[in-house]
Amino acid sequence: MALLTLENVSVAYDNQYILQNFNLNIEKGQLISLLGPSGCGKTTTLRLIAGFLEAKDGRFMFEGKDYTRVPVNKRNFGFVFQSYALFPHLSVFDNVAFGLRLRKINETEVKTRVQHILEVVSLGGYEKRFPKELSGGQRQRVAIARALVIQPDLLLFDEPLSNLDANLRINMRVEIRRIQQELGITTVYVSHDQEECFSISDQVAIMNKGVIEQLDDPATIFKYPKTEFIARFIGFTNFIDFAERTEQNGEIGLRVGDHQFTASKNPGTASSSGKKCAMRPDDLLVTTEESAEPGMNRLRGTVKVSTFLGRSYQYVVETELGDFTVNQEMETPYKTGMNVNLLFPKDKVVLVD
Amino acid sequence: MRKTGLYLLLLPGVLFLTLFMVIPIVMTIASTFYQDGSFTIQGYLQFLTDAYFLKIMLTTLQVSLVTTIACVLIGFPAAYYISKLGPRKKGILLALAIFPLLTSSVVRSFSWMIILGKKGLLNSSLLAIGLIDKPLEILYTPTAMMIGLIHLFLPLIIITLVGVMENIDPDLLKAAESLGASKLTAFWKVIVPLSVPGLIIGSILVFVGSLTAYTTPALLGGKQRVISTFLYQNAITLNDWHLASVIATIMIVITFVVIYFMNKLATKLNPKG
Repeated sequence: MALLTLENVSVAYDNQYILQNFNLNIEKGQLISLLGPSGCGKTTTLRLIAGFLEAKDGRFMFEGKDYTRVPVNKRNFGFVFQSYALFPHLSVFDNVAFGLRLRKINETEVKTRVQHILEVVSLGGYEKRFPKELSGGQRQRVAIARALVIQPDLLLFDEPLSNLDANLRINMRVEIRRIQQELGITTVYVSHDQEECFSISDQVAIMNKGVIEQLDDPATIFKYPKTEFIARFIGFTNFIDFAERTEQNGEIGLRVGDHQFTASKNPGTASSSGKKCAMRPDDLLVTTEESAEPGMNRLRGTVKVSTFLGRSYQYVVETELGDFTVNQEMETPYKTGMNVNLLFPKDKVVLVD
Repeated sequence: MRKTGLYLLLLPGVLFLTLFMVIPIVMTIASTFYQDGSFTIQGYLQFLTDAYFLKIMLTTLQVSLVTTIACVLIGFPAAYYISKLGPRKKGILLALAIFPLLTSSVVRSFSWMIILGKKGLLNSSLLAIGLIDKPLEILYTPTAMMIGLIHLFLPLIIITLVGVMENIDPDLLKAAESLGASKLTAFWKVIVPLSVPGLIIGSILVFVGSLTAYTTPALLGGKQRVISTFLYQNAITLNDWHLASVIATIMIVITFVVIYFMNKLATKLNPKG
């Protein structure tokens, strides 16, 4: 049974729904991230779980108990803010001890636990410093320590790394993953940074307009997006909208006008019943050869733009079915205006809704 | 080179303050130690040993202290409420809060006389509904002064506090709550300590303002003297400029002592504010 369940939850501001009939299940011990463009409802979902927002409809179940109306301070969830939200008037020690002292834990134990958790986030010796005297990365680690020390039942991150510079961001996300796995703590992580989510999560939920479009492990999402939105989001740039989808000889037949394509059955064509084909620029090929190649769909076109990218050339090829972007490594590039054939490998075709 | 040039910008201000403030103050203080051409501390001895003078000083300090505490207690929640509002509502409420500052303190004191007098608005209402059988003696007492002064200085403390509270990150309250604090505890452990700088500045303004206020105590205090009205009486009515200067010096000293201790308190309450 899932540790956390959101059942048909709705959240609205001024009669405008941010989330409507929203559902989500999270298993114990997992790190799940909510990923999506701004305004997709990911932060709203996180704040709802934290208790900063109240659902208009629906239920929030945690460990089999109804948490929908449980106030923030009774939930025992750790929250790490984008702004860190450290108390500026308290030292590192007192910041971390804040939650423990509210729980009336005796001062000797407070001391042991604070010291221990500061070791975990590699901040031993910084107890007497004040937030102002720390760097961004150190502040973030204090914020994490403060959330962890109360031994929360759930850990929530709201874009925790977006205020850090690029190098630190990579170090910190490795660190967050390490701590999360070491303590085996169930975590919900919100970010708009794809790479960040994919690198630290067990599961990624990609959200768009208040709906989870796909929830899968990172590799599956990356290879087999279910919808056009996700495909675009993770770097698929070429789409063909087919009119007809049929099954023949264990393959999938696709047709639009006089153009007939075939695609092999793979998780990418099976996960969706859609008729839209999505291709990455790296998976397409451009050639001037006229001979048919096995396993390839072909389409005639003209080179419209040719750009040198260093390792490869990027072409924009104009065809009857629209423009296609292709990245290809080669010695001598095709020139603008050349007539070429575009090759679509059967096994690289992904079908999306 | 550039820096020295920039210092010139300070010149008009420094000149003005030196001519019209520093020199007069130094002269006033110096004059208290000289009478008929010879050094003396007679003025201070006279002031500090006279029960009547000491009583005036005590009343003044008492009135200022109560005014300050009352302003803090009334102003703090109001300021917190205002600081939480959206920009539009905040603007309207701040304008309303500042409004009393725009009327002259003479006008305001007369209004209070109408309200607080023996046959005033307050007494006649209370008599009419039968809460009291004879009029309350409020006007021409320290209580009337306090009411007038609170009315006068409340805007100051509200403005100062709103300024400080606006800059408190709202996520801090959420952080405290997520760590297990109730709304009230979060307010007490986060908002209050972080408002200390505003609280101190506001309190200094109110305290010093009440200490030196003249019109309000003169009009609402009746025969009850405070230091400022006593100073005026000595200088203008009794023409005793020496004693008036001594009183002025004592007021300056009190002001500095208050500011010194308030700052000490501020560092103690909020070491890294």
